[in-house]
Amino acid sequence: MPVHQSEALILRTYKLGEADRIVVFLTKDRGKKRGVAKGARRARSRFTGALEPLTRADVAYYERELRDLVRINYVEPLRSPLSAIDDVTSDIALGHVGYFAELIDEWAPEAHADERLYRLGASVVEALSGRAPVDRLARYFEYWLLRLQGVYPSVTACAACAGPLEKGAVMAPREHVYVCRGCAPAAGGTSISAEALRFLREAAAAAPDRLAPLALSAPAGRELETAHRRLINVHLEKELKSARVLREMSQGSHGSEASRVRR
Amino acid sequence: MSRPDPLAKLIEQLQRLPGIGAKSAQRLAFYILKTPREDVERLADAMREVKDRVSYCSISSNITDADPCYFCTHPGRDRRVICVVEEPENVTAIEKTRDFKGTYHVLMGALSPLHGVGPDDLKIKGLLARVGEGGVDEVILATNPNVEGEATAIYLAKLLKPLGVRVTRIAMGVPVGSDLEYADEVTMHKAMEGRREV
Ligand SMILES: [Zn+2]
Ligand SMILES: [Zn+2]
Repeated sequence: MPVHQSEALILRTYKLGEADRIVVFLTKDRGKKRGVAKGARRARSRFTGALEPLTRADVAYYERELRDLVRINYVEPLRSPLSAIDDVTSDIALGHVGYFAELIDEWAPEAHADERLYRLGASVVEALSGRAPVDRLARYFEYWLLRLQGVYPSVTACAACAGPLEKGAVMAPREHVYVCRGCAPAAGGTSISAEALRFLREAAAAAPDRLAPLALSAPAGRELETAHRRLINVHLEKELKSARVLREMSQGSHGSEASRVRR
Repeated sequence: MSRPDPLAKLIEQLQRLPGIGAKSAQRLAFYILKTPREDVERLADAMREVKDRVSYCSISSNITDADPCYFCTHPGRDRRVICVVEEPENVTAIEKTRDFKGTYHVLMGALSPLHGVGPDDLKIKGLLARVGEGGVDEVILATNPNVEGEATAIYLAKLLKPLGVRVTRIAMGVPVGSDLEYADEVTMHKAMEGRREV
């Protein structure tokens, strides 16, 4: 039974039996794993505080022949989303912890390593702990995640006429590419302003902890949120649970005004 | 070999219980099969009775055999203070400290984007209604000290503060990332004592 030791991102956990947890984690070197953390739910467990989603940690585990579940020896946190909690933390920022974790979980390969996805996840944990503006971080993360999967459409050239997208773009209904205003259908679709496209082009070159100087107004952020949700839903063939919950949370805490704008 | 139907049915039902896999379900089913009839009937009666007689308090969502529950009706409990917890088990943990004399509100969970639990899935409207009716001075947020519990506490604080009530959060004497269900009396006592305004 070889013991593996690797840096990993905890993605999610499920209760197992009386006192254990099943842990889904993305290792840096061997892809996504599922394992059992024995006694993780007991009061004084060695896993206490180490299994929150998006914890970056050193994980030791061993694989058992003919079993899908690995056995987890220890999880030594290097960076925890809990360390970011203080008086100014928002519920929406904490809600995004689950959102990022679910996105990584959906896209992480089981059988082989995806070091670029791992690095994206790890850098977003870092940025969250450094209190990066969470809306911008979310749009950045979605953009990079979809780009790494090779499914993000061009943000510079129109998908129909190949002309430049300097003056903004449209994602037509049922299409999942950006076209220029000239090629866009007369009505419908998701309009993307020049500002939103500029944010994406700059995000392509920026590390997630350098997001603060990148401008993204609330309306431009919402354009990208809509376009990205459409891209994610069409590629995953479903809506993420966490995306729905985040929407409900921001409607609840911002009152009816927010829900009206989001319609 | 195919099993006689009633046994397969029992295994299937047992397997739906949390923490029971196929193997345990089979083991339990065979155990029940061998157990004397009176014992099995006592188990079945207890299960039926819990569904017939125990329900949720219409005020606090706590589990109770009388509605409203003991905490919501007993004259010795201070109705001006509401302690908000995730699960009915947490009420038991706080009651063990014996120094809390207020009332409770059980959310029946915490906000969990990963598991698809949003505000509408929790007993939040009832809490806001209780506070909105007036007569409440303080709401203590005693959700778990983990990402979900913290998000829930911050979310609730945002909704509660505009109602003009004092909102406090229990101290993190409890190990961060843990579950209050497993906190001992001393830890829970310290957490309540050290609560601070949010
Ligand atoms: Zn065009
Ligand atoms: Zn009650």
